[in-house]
Amino acid sequence: MDKKKAIDDTEPGPAPSRGVDRFGFIKPEQSNSPDGLPKGKSIQEREREERRIRKWRKMIGVGGSDWKHYVRRNPHVVKRRIRKGIPDCLRGLVWQLISGSRDLLLLNPGVYETLVIYETSASELEIIRDISRTFPSHIFFQQRHGPGQRSLYNILKAYSVYDRDVGYVQGMGFLAGLLLLYMSEEDAFWLLVALLKGAVHAPMEGLYQAGLPLVQQYLSQFEKLVMEHMPKLGQHFVEEMINPSMYASQWFITVFSYSFPFHLTLRVWDVFLYEGIKVVFQVGLALLRFCHDDLIKLPFEQLLHALRNFPEEATDPDVLLPIAFTFKVSSRLEELQKEYQKGPEGSSETSTSKRHQPLISKTMSRVGSRVISNLISDKK
Amino acid sequence: MAGRRAEEEYDYLFKVVLIGDSGVGKSNLLSRFTRNEFCLESKSTIGVEFATRTLHVEGKIIKAQIWDTAGQERYRAITSAYYRGALGAVLVYDVSKPTTFENISRWLKELRDHADSNIRIMLVGNKTDLRHLRAVATEDAQNFAEAEGLSYIETSALEATNVEEAFQLILGDIYRAISKKPVVSDDSGAGAAGGVKEGKTINVAPGDAGAEKKQCCST
Repeated sequence: MDKKKAIDDTEPGPAPSRGVDRFGFIKPEQSNSPDGLPKGKSIQEREREERRIRKWRKMIGVGGSDWKHYVRRNPHVVKRRIRKGIPDCLRGLVWQLISGSRDLLLLNPGVYETLVIYETSASELEIIRDISRTFPSHIFFQQRHGPGQRSLYNILKAYSVYDRDVGYVQGMGFLAGLLLLYMSEEDAFWLLVALLKGAVHAPMEGLYQAGLPLVQQYLSQFEKLVMEHMPKLGQHFVEEMINPSMYASQWFITVFSYSFPFHLTLRVWDVFLYEGIKVVFQVGLALLRFCHDDLIKLPFEQLLHALRNFPEEATDPDVLLPIAFTFKVSSRLEELQKEYQKGPEGSSETSTSKRHQPLISKTMSRVGSRVISNLISDKK
Repeated sequence: MAGRRAEEEYDYLFKVVLIGDSGVGKSNLLSRFTRNEFCLESKSTIGVEFATRTLHVEGKIIKAQIWDTAGQERYRAITSAYYRGALGAVLVYDVSKPTTFENISRWLKELRDHADSNIRIMLVGNKTDLRHLRAVATEDAQNFAEAEGLSYIETSALEATNVEEAFQLILGDIYRAISKKPVVSDDSGAGAAGGVKEGKTINVAPGDAGAEKKQCCST
């Protein structure tokens, strides 16, 4: 075997021979690189882009000075423009403005530095172990102990100290890593705080607390939404014993930043930061809707494979997001949340004891029954 | 789609869970076994992953349905649901990291709490390629496995050493266990679902020793 080097000691450094896409991800060898934008943009497209950026700059004001005023007066304009995508050059700033993290930063001068320099965390080893396993194909995070990895470590450590109950949980690194590509370490930290502690929207720390309560809740809500919006597919999932925890946990835990094309992730995050978690449900539903007619024909294994490997056409944000926004889910999500929190007395068909694993146990029994039937036939 | 056969035929379908501390190489063991791939730049597993492979074990065609789980303790809230009904568990530690071996007892307790009592368990010491960093002696692990009634093997997913053998071992173990004593499921309805597919023509997935070792890496 020629590869005897210890992977713990040597990391592949940035490989200059391999190209990177426009977001800094190293391209797989023979790829047709669907990195969002067509290769050569026409002059008209460039001009349109320039106009868009000018509009955005005006809306924001110098350093964000006009933002709040604008949002108060024209919330719908802001919403519409964000849904079309925030210009990449302004994304970092706008994300901080819409998430409320900028205010947190200003209210807590010096806090981040203290957390990084003076505090120690029980999670340090766990964090280090995952650092090189977070966006491993991105040029910024590739170099061992390079600036990307160091910043990522600092943020995660700081957060694990800032909220010792939550500490560090796998998946957080993808949020922090994504943010680091658009802002400084300290800004990214406060944006993470804004999300998990709920500066603008409902806090999301439950995604990472012991028992992962919010993951369980979101999966339960998503399962019901699928059943309501696509009853045939929902029924097919029931019959094939497919449970959302098998394919959608990552969608919620990392807000689509774990395994989707980066240009889609960014567009989802634009909307997510402004409108909240509902867009994750909407995009999830849109993916199922887009592939509905294929999914409905597939048996268990192929179905699960398809749910983890959506075709390229399905992950084009300009196709997927318009579908996503056709799903009106806000009020239903609230009702489902109340139902979920009320527990088993609700007239829902599943009891709480089963709620976390209803379909899984069915799958098991199917596997078990197949084993038994195999045994029976084996003895013939 | 990766050229899967829609109608695979097999005598038995065995569900197996892959567990152990974070970073011990569970996902790469799985990709080595099912796709003969190893990914140096792999991401931490979030939640659960799934893969299958059909192979010959003790003269039978066995389809292994393997659930790969996130190793971090917090994730057991999600992953422990997948232990139920599993016929086998592959419990992995890293031979270069003693804490991952010390935690094996906690994983065994986890299985006792959530898995079926007759589950077959195999202890796997992975990353034997890190020869100069070895920190858990084979003998210690072997003694431990014996005392706990587990089968034991050391592997290197990177070098593709013993990976095939490891899965053969656990699948053979399961096969022998269920041949002796039929599994009784808590849920009834046995025999009703999905007829047995018997047949002699099958394509075993590629990836046997000697096959070309591919590199992977999906972003």
